[in-house]
Amino acid sequence: MTSTPHTVRAGALVATASIAVLLVSGCTRAESSGGLGGDGSSPGITDDSISIGISSPLSGPTAGPGSCTVAGLAAYIEAQNADGGFEFGDGNTRQVEFTYLDDVYDPARAVSNFRQLTDQGIFAYVGALGTPTNAAVMPIAEEEEVPQVLLTTGARTFSEDQEAHPWTTGFVPTYATEGRAFGELLVAADRPITVATLAQNDDFGQSYLDGFTEATEGSQVEVVASATYEPTDTTLDSQVTELAASNADVLLSAVSVTPLQVGVLTKAQSLGWLPSIFLPSNTSTPGTILQPGGAEAYPAVFTPSFSKNPNSPAFAEDEDVQAYNAAFEEYGSQIATTYTPHCTWSYAEGAVLAEAFAGMEEPTRESFMTALRSISDFQAPMLLDGITVDTTSDDEAAISTVELVRYDAGTGGFAPVDGF
Amino acid sequence: MSYFVQVVVDGLSNGAIYAALALAIVLVHRATGLVNFAQGGMAVAATFVAFALTRAGVPVLLALLAAVVFGFVLGALLERGVMRHFERGDPDTAVVATIALLVLLTGASAFFFGYEPQPFPSLFPNRTFEVLGVFVSFRSIGTILVLIAVMVGLQLLFRSTKLGLAMRAVADNPESSALSALPVSRLLMIGWGLAAGLGAVAGVLVAPQLFISPGMLDFVLVYALAAAILGGLDSPVGAVVAAAFIGVAENLAGAYLDVVGDDLKIAVPFVAVMVILVVRPQGLFGRKTTVRV
Repeated sequence: MTSTPHTVRAGALVATASIAVLLVSGCTRAESSGGLGGDGSSPGITDDSISIGISSPLSGPTAGPGSCTVAGLAAYIEAQNADGGFEFGDGNTRQVEFTYLDDVYDPARAVSNFRQLTDQGIFAYVGALGTPTNAAVMPIAEEEEVPQVLLTTGARTFSEDQEAHPWTTGFVPTYATEGRAFGELLVAADRPITVATLAQNDDFGQSYLDGFTEATEGSQVEVVASATYEPTDTTLDSQVTELAASNADVLLSAVSVTPLQVGVLTKAQSLGWLPSIFLPSNTSTPGTILQPGGAEAYPAVFTPSFSKNPNSPAFAEDEDVQAYNAAFEEYGSQIATTYTPHCTWSYAEGAVLAEAFAGMEEPTRESFMTALRSISDFQAPMLLDGITVDTTSDDEAAISTVELVRYDAGTGGFAPVDGF
Repeated sequence: MSYFVQVVVDGLSNGAIYAALALAIVLVHRATGLVNFAQGGMAVAATFVAFALTRAGVPVLLALLAAVVFGFVLGALLERGVMRHFERGDPDTAVVATIALLVLLTGASAFFFGYEPQPFPSLFPNRTFEVLGVFVSFRSIGTILVLIAVMVGLQLLFRSTKLGLAMRAVADNPESSALSALPVSRLLMIGWGLAAGLGAVAGVLVAPQLFISPGMLDFVLVYALAAAILGGLDSPVGAVVAAAFIGVAENLAGAYLDVVGDDLKIAVPFVAVMVILVVRPQGLFGRKTTVRV
């Protein structure tokens, strides 16, 4: 009974606090929804600062890649801030204020994070990871005319029709680009090849297969077996058994879940089926997938790549890699503890952002989008030689080419490919 | 033919994963009368202890034993510290409390070990052998053998020991048991401890395949609950048979029914479970309870 007055008081306190929060957020909201600040500039930008935000999975099963999309970007931005700041096309030099939130790969959380960030007055939403999460944010960003750019998702939705979605751009190559690269490699071999496909039952898997089919149509490459799975499946043993019965020459395994991809690699060889393997760029990290999966048993394991691996001895002397490692060690390593390629991607994305800032003539979101869509032939740090950023095409992501590489079990890294 | 057998064998090895957790659910139900949703969380927490030890160079078998001990203590402490407050109340409240524990344990595991799935060393050799064109992995065989041993052990515990009899009595009617001078609280603690210790065994058995992460058993729990209920909730044999049935039915449906395919195969065993439960509400191996008016 004695606790009652406390409860009441606590309740009143919560109510007061909630009202205060509502009032505060209501105010900032009114300001930001106007689109323009008092002096004609957009929200989130002053003469010496600009604020950007991101929501990615920092906990839950996708936390590894998600944390990396924050860590690499933070490393680039903070290193540049420490170096004096970013130069803008309007002659000002600005410090970038960077805010990041965790959405656990949950679309509802991503939406509320996005609202929180815009209420805080961010200028742009940059680099977020995840297809379902970004798809949920896209209509709101469009309606409020907030740039939702350089997204770390290979789904076509964010890049294929930029006229219809003027505030959204993708950064990494679409999954269709990756699938197409595999198809082209097989077609170039100019002999009959049989393929088994295993794809996630959503946009990710479908884009992969679409790209692959486009490239192989009318060629000697034939898909002889195909299976799908749900990301919630505990194992893919039955799918692999089904595909193994086809004894195809090649297995295209468009699987995005780490343990399942390892399971596919171990299961196929345990059935005595040793095809050449094609893996997506997001599930082909040697330390977490290829070594535990025993990838060395297969005649060849191919994967698309467009960035340098900072841990590979091959790049130890590379200036980009040294700069990346120094920046990441200082500003990124607290956010992401395990390496996935997303760390280097988001670092490169920081450079693309800087390039857009440099082309931005007015402190407005419109001017930013124009500048961001006018970058071509830009060699961002950490991208492989020959891979450049081009944002001028209105149906492709900022990076629209990939290079295929082949797993080299001896060095634990990847080697270039010169044919199938 | 060998394809058919292979599909069945794969189904059995999936079923073994479900059975491992289902057995722990049956054990806690037998011992406390509750369905424990935190079972997966306790198992994962204990498995993480084994994981940390193997990282430090301890052999898997020793790490497993340490995890079982840790699991037992964890389960007993949770019963003593948390669940005891709900034991005299509405059983529904207690079940909700186990869900809260699941969330708490998952968060605690993530706090110490992170969310990234990490490889876990196997107790059994990571190889397969071939019999008449069918490939069977040592890991599945080993897992199934351990499960059968556990199942027999549990059956003996409940049927043929005083402790088991006392635990059944407490689960069935705590008040009468207390009046018959049974140490009710201590028996409930032991029940939770045993279930969590068994959870550790389940976790260590399946972690090499699923990769250890705080959410490792989230989806397995759904299958395991289905298996436990289909098997009759208080029958270890029933849980194992039902888990095998679910694994095999799912795989066969995926492989042979084109309409079902890979997308709907998960639904097949669950539809079957519903049909069976409509016909036999007490489950395959459950005892029929009758209430005298």
